[in-house]
Amino acid sequence: MSVPAAPLTSAPPAVVRRYRAEPVWVPWVFLAPFLLTFGVFMVWPLIQSVVLACQQTFGPKSTAWVGFANFSFLLHDPLFWKAVSNTAMFAAGSVFLQLPVSLGLALLLNRPGLRGRTVFRLVFFAPSLVGLVFVGLLFSLIFAPRTGLVNSVLNDFFPAFDPEFPWLQVYVMPALILAALWLYAGFNMVYFLAALQGVPEELMEAAALDGAGPWHRFRHIVLPEILPVATFVVLMSLLGSLQLFELPYILLTGAGPDNRGLTIVMYLYDNGFVTGDLGYASAVGWVLALLMGSFALGQRWFNKRQEES
Amino acid sequence: MSVLSRLRAFFAVTTPAVWVLLALALGAAGLIAGRPGVRASGMSHWLFAKGHVAVYVPVFAKWNAEQPTAATRVESLLIDGPALERRMLSAFMSGTPVADLVETERSMACRAFTGPLEDVGFVDLTDLLKAEGLMEKINGPSFAPWTSRGRIFGLPHDVHPVMLAYRADLVEAAGIDLSKVETWAEFFAAMRPLMADGDGDGRPDRYLLNFWPNNRDLMELLLLQAGGGLFDAKENVAIATERNAFVLSSLATWCAGPGRVAVDAPDFTAAGNTLRLRGVVVAALMPDWLAGIWKLDMPDLGGKLRLMPLPAWEKGGRRTSVVGGTMLGITKAGKNFDASWALAKRLYLDPEVHAEFFKRTTIIPPFKSSWSHPAFSAPDPFFGGQPSGQLYIAQAGDVPTRPASPYNLPALLRVNEVLIALADRASREDISDPAVLLPEARERLAEAQMRVEKMINRNVFLRSDAPAR
Repeated sequence: MSVPAAPLTSAPPAVVRRYRAEPVWVPWVFLAPFLLTFGVFMVWPLIQSVVLACQQTFGPKSTAWVGFANFSFLLHDPLFWKAVSNTAMFAAGSVFLQLPVSLGLALLLNRPGLRGRTVFRLVFFAPSLVGLVFVGLLFSLIFAPRTGLVNSVLNDFFPAFDPEFPWLQVYVMPALILAALWLYAGFNMVYFLAALQGVPEELMEAAALDGAGPWHRFRHIVLPEILPVATFVVLMSLLGSLQLFELPYILLTGAGPDNRGLTIVMYLYDNGFVTGDLGYASAVGWVLALLMGSFALGQRWFNKRQEES
Repeated sequence: MSVLSRLRAFFAVTTPAVWVLLALALGAAGLIAGRPGVRASGMSHWLFAKGHVAVYVPVFAKWNAEQPTAATRVESLLIDGPALERRMLSAFMSGTPVADLVETERSMACRAFTGPLEDVGFVDLTDLLKAEGLMEKINGPSFAPWTSRGRIFGLPHDVHPVMLAYRADLVEAAGIDLSKVETWAEFFAAMRPLMADGDGDGRPDRYLLNFWPNNRDLMELLLLQAGGGLFDAKENVAIATERNAFVLSSLATWCAGPGRVAVDAPDFTAAGNTLRLRGVVVAALMPDWLAGIWKLDMPDLGGKLRLMPLPAWEKGGRRTSVVGGTMLGITKAGKNFDASWALAKRLYLDPEVHAEFFKRTTIIPPFKSSWSHPAFSAPDPFFGGQPSGQLYIAQAGDVPTRPASPYNLPALLRVNEVLIALADRASREDISDPAVLLPEARERLAEAQMRVEKMINRNVFLRSDAPAR
C-alpha cells in the first residue's frame, strides 16, 4: 500500500497547530517548582557565597568588604598549601593504588569458571556499605598502639617490634590511603567489572587465536574497551579525594600531627566553623570548586580526544 | 484546549501512586503548618552534658511546680555538644530559635564571643554579678573562660582543678614514697623504678604518666600550670615566650628519646582504658570531671588510685592547673530575663544541687560557700578513702586563668605543632636534655606566634580603623 505524499503547501497537522496555540507561559508554570527550588537552594546560595568570599566576617553580625584579600591571604598561607599537598598525595594514592587494585579485583572476578563469584563480589563490595565514619573508627582501633590489631599481631610474630609504634602519627598519609583503599576498592571494582563484562568476547577469542598472550589482550583490547569507564572512575576518585574530610577527621581526630592529615575541606571547616571566618572559608570553597571544575573539564577534554582518535 | 481542561486530562490519566504521594505531601505540609511552635510558651534550657540531666530534673520539676503561669515554666533539652554549638551559633548569626538558657562548654562558648561585644548573643552579666555580690562569692579564675574584653557572659558551673592520680597499689608495692615529692623532676626520679623491664622484652613494663605530644588539652594544661600559655590577660598573643619554650622542650623529652616517661593512653577510648587497667600507665593528669568519668568507665580501678597535687615545675610553683569548663548563659533572644536569671541561680548557686552534682560527677562548684557542705569532705572509696572533694577544693583558688580568645584553638594548634616537631627531633636524635631542644623551641614558637598574629591581624574588625558594620 502506497502512502500519498503530502502536498508541500498543506496546513500543518492538527496536533502541531494546537501546540503552537499554547500560551507562552504554560511551560514556565510547569518549570516553576524546579526553578524556584533551584534558585532558592542553589543559585542564590552560590551568589551569596561569591559575595561572602570577598567579605570578612567576625562574630554573628559583622561583615566587611575585603575584595580579593581572602584569596590573596589564602595563596600565601603555608597551611593552605600543606592542605593542598596532603590532598594531592591522597588523590595520587587513590588513583595509583586504589584503582589498579580495583581493576585487579575486577579482572580476577571476571575470570570464566570462577567459583563463588557472588560471594567474592559481596565480600569486596561490603566495606563500601559501612561509610567513612565507621571506617575511621575501625582503623583508629586497628592502628592503636599496644592494643591495636596491627601492633599486637606484629609484636606476636616479631617480639622485637615495638607494640607502641604510633602508626597514625608516623605514617599519617599511608594510613589514610590504606583505610580508603579498604573502603573504596570494592566499590570501584563494580564499575570495572561492569565495563569488563562489556568487552566483546569474540574479539578476545580472535586475539587469542592470533597468538596474543594475556598481557597483549589486556593492553590492546581490554584497556581500550574499558577506557571510558576508567576515566570516569579516575575522575570520581579525584573529586572524592579533593572532598576528603570525614576519614582524617575521625581517624586522626583532627589534622593529625604536624597537620600531616590536613585536607582542603578540613582547612575550610577549621576556618569557617572553628575560627568563625566564614568569608575566608568561602574563598577556600571557591578555590576547591575551581580545582574540581578543572579536573572535570580535563576529563571531558581527554574523553573527546579519545573519541576523535 | 484550555489550560484547565489540559490539567484535568493530566490528572485523569495519573496513576493512584501520584495521588497518594500528593496526599502525603499535602498532609505533611498541613501537619507542619499546624504544629505549634517549639517556643510557643514557657522557657527552654539546652545542655550538652548527659551527666548533668539527672541532677537538674528534680530542680526543674520543683521550679515548674512553683510557677504560677506557663510562661516561666521551663523545658530542658539535652543536645549533643557539636549540635548544640551549631544551633547556638546559627541562632546568634541568623535569629533561628534558641533556648532562653544555654549551658555550653569552653571551646563552644568562645566562638559566641567573637565580634563586637554588643553582637554577642548572650546577655552581659557583669554588672548583675557585681551588683549581687557574686563576684566575691564565686571562685575568681572560674570567670575567665566566659570573659571577653572584660565582660562576663555566663555563670560558671565549675572550677575544674587538676590533680595527679596515681596507682597507689603499684607505687606502694615498689616501696616508693611520694609524700615529699614537689616537682616533676622529683616525681619522675622517685617513680623511675616502676619503669623497669620485668618481662625482659627490652622495653619498660610501665610508663609514669599519661601524656602524648598530640594531646593538645593536656599540653595547654601543663603550659598553664607552668605559668605559660597562649594569650596574656589582655588577649594579646603570648606564644613566643621563654616559659613556653622551656615547657615544650621538657614535654618533648617526656615523650621521646632515652628519657621518655610518658605513654599515649587517650581518655574516653577502650585502648587508653585498657592501658590504665593493665597498669601500663601509672599516673594521669586528673581534673575533677575526669575523676567522675573514670568512676563510671573503670570501676575496677576503685581503691587502687590516690590523688596528689600536681608536681610543680619548680619548688614552690603552682601545684594545679585547669582543663575544660562549662557555663550557663542567658540568651538575648530569651523571653523573660528575670525568670531566666532566677532559674540560673537556682541551678548554679544552690549548695544542695552542688552536693548532688559532686556525688554523681566529682565536679566541685565554684560557689565558695558550698565548699563546706559535708558531701565534699566525705571519704571517696574510688581514691582509697581520700576526701577527693576537699583535695580539689584546696587547689581551686590557685587554678590559672585562661583568656577566652576566639583564636585560642588556632593558637593551640600552632603551639602543638611545635611540641610534635620537638618530640620528633628528640626521638630521632635520642635527646633527653630539654636544654638541647630549647633553641629550636624558641625558633618554632616565634614562627607560630607570627602565624597566629598574621591571622589575627587579617581581621579588619580588630584594627584601630575597624570598618562600620
